[in-house]
Amino acid sequence: MIKQFIKGIIVAAAVFGGAAAMAKSNLMLDSEIFVEREVTRQDGSKATVLTEPKLVVPGDRLIFVVKYKNAGNKPASDFTITNPMPKAVAFNGTSDGLETVSVDNGKSWGFLSAMKVTTKAGAQRPATMSDVTHIRWNLKQTLAPGEGGKLIFRGVVK
Amino acid sequence: MAGQLRRTSKAAAIAALLAGVSYAPSASAAGTLAGTDITNVATASYETPGGTTINVDSNPVVIKVDELLDVVVDNSDPGDIATQPGDTGKVLTFQVTNSGNGNEEFTLTADVNKPGDDFDPTLVQIVLDTNGNGVYDPGVDQVYVAGTNDPALDPDESITVFVIVDTPGTPTDGDRAEVNLAAVANTGSGAPGTSFDGQGDGGGDAVVGTTGADDDDSGFLAIQAAILELIKSATVVDPFGGDKAVPGSVITYQIIANVTGSGNLINLVVSDPIPADTTYIAESITFEGTGKSDATDADEGSFNGTQISVDVGTVPAGESRTITFRVTIQ
Repeated sequence: MIKQFIKGIIVAAAVFGGAAAMAKSNLMLDSEIFVEREVTRQDGSKATVLTEPKLVVPGDRLIFVVKYKNAGNKPASDFTITNPMPKAVAFNGTSDGLETVSVDNGKSWGFLSAMKVTTKAGAQRPATMSDVTHIRWNLKQTLAPGEGGKLIFRGVVK
Repeated sequence: MAGQLRRTSKAAAIAALLAGVSYAPSASAAGTLAGTDITNVATASYETPGGTTINVDSNPVVIKVDELLDVVVDNSDPGDIATQPGDTGKVLTFQVTNSGNGNEEFTLTADVNKPGDDFDPTLVQIVLDTNGNGVYDPGVDQVYVAGTNDPALDPDESITVFVIVDTPGTPTDGDRAEVNLAAVANTGSGAPGTSFDGQGDGGGDAVVGTTGADDDDSGFLAIQAAILELIKSATVVDPFGGDKAVPGSVITYQIIANVTGSGNLINLVVSDPIPADTTYIAESITFEGTGKSDATDADEGSFNGTQISVDVGTVPAGESRTITFRVTIQ
């Protein structure tokens, strides 16, 4: 264990200059934000459409899509993807429910149902979606070169 | 004047902090401030087969929060403003609140000629509560002139607005008059979702919110020539035949509703909560000397578990009505 750790440091130190550049080309992340808007069709019926906004207003429902892909030529494993919630956005759930969250700016992590928030008065209350500061996915599987996927979460503009 | 309004808002913010309640600016009821950027960056962290931990950031996505144009007008009078024919300078009080998320100026309009009421008062002027004390101070609070001193409100900020009217000499007792105040955002108003490109606070667009950026509310004047006076008295009888207030003593409360002036007092209802540490004696309500049941039914009296209530009805000026009920001291 220690030996491996030391080896890791040596490798990292040895190829430090090149490692960052090589690594960047390995796993690629792409972040997109869509807004859900209700439009009225010509026949009067309502439909929900996704648009890529430049401007939003409080109350708009946003969908965040994080695409990941192993663009390198070596497998990547045990990777985590972390997304801090933008300050003006309240978390509103993910599509898979597999995420862990932090309600204290990334200090501690767990499922939302297990998280607690300390109130001003010093009491503890269960955390709610609006308390979430960060969300994280731990992806256990090994990602072969060329493989990828996407993670989706929702938020509401405060 | 705008400077003074902002000071009021800052003072309120400081007061909130002192009270131990802290609000993040983005958590206000009006929502995220117009012009705020929402930036999202995801980070991936993984190990290479060699055991090195690598962090990769995604591209940042930036979207801007637009200005929502919203306004709420509320009449804050506790009920009808009592007036007599020929009265001058009656004051109706309204709150105008910027419920949008940007700084916005509002145009105010008062309407005293609403249809469906009994008479139309004369509009004297609209006055802004410039000193922020919630009370109309003639000569101190600034007279509103549309287009000249339209109140500029920060998100969530309110201003008290007084509408001053005169009552004409013609209406009779019981007549009511509707007085309406409307506020419209100066940037624009219309159907929710209407967008004014590039006119938002902070550089984005201005978008009309759910209120249509246009709201109004009404207060009422009522001619009340009759004046009501309630006189309450108590008689104590203790279990030993004396008049000491001890546990077990019975208190008989008497309420006399005395109407003076002229005309009629319409639909008078007298309610009285049962005092703490006493128990209401069932079926003890009397009205004009006759017992009335506790049930809410055809007779005038009722008891709902916490208070007695007597539906006195219309009382002409110069007459009075007497109600009694009894309780036991616990």
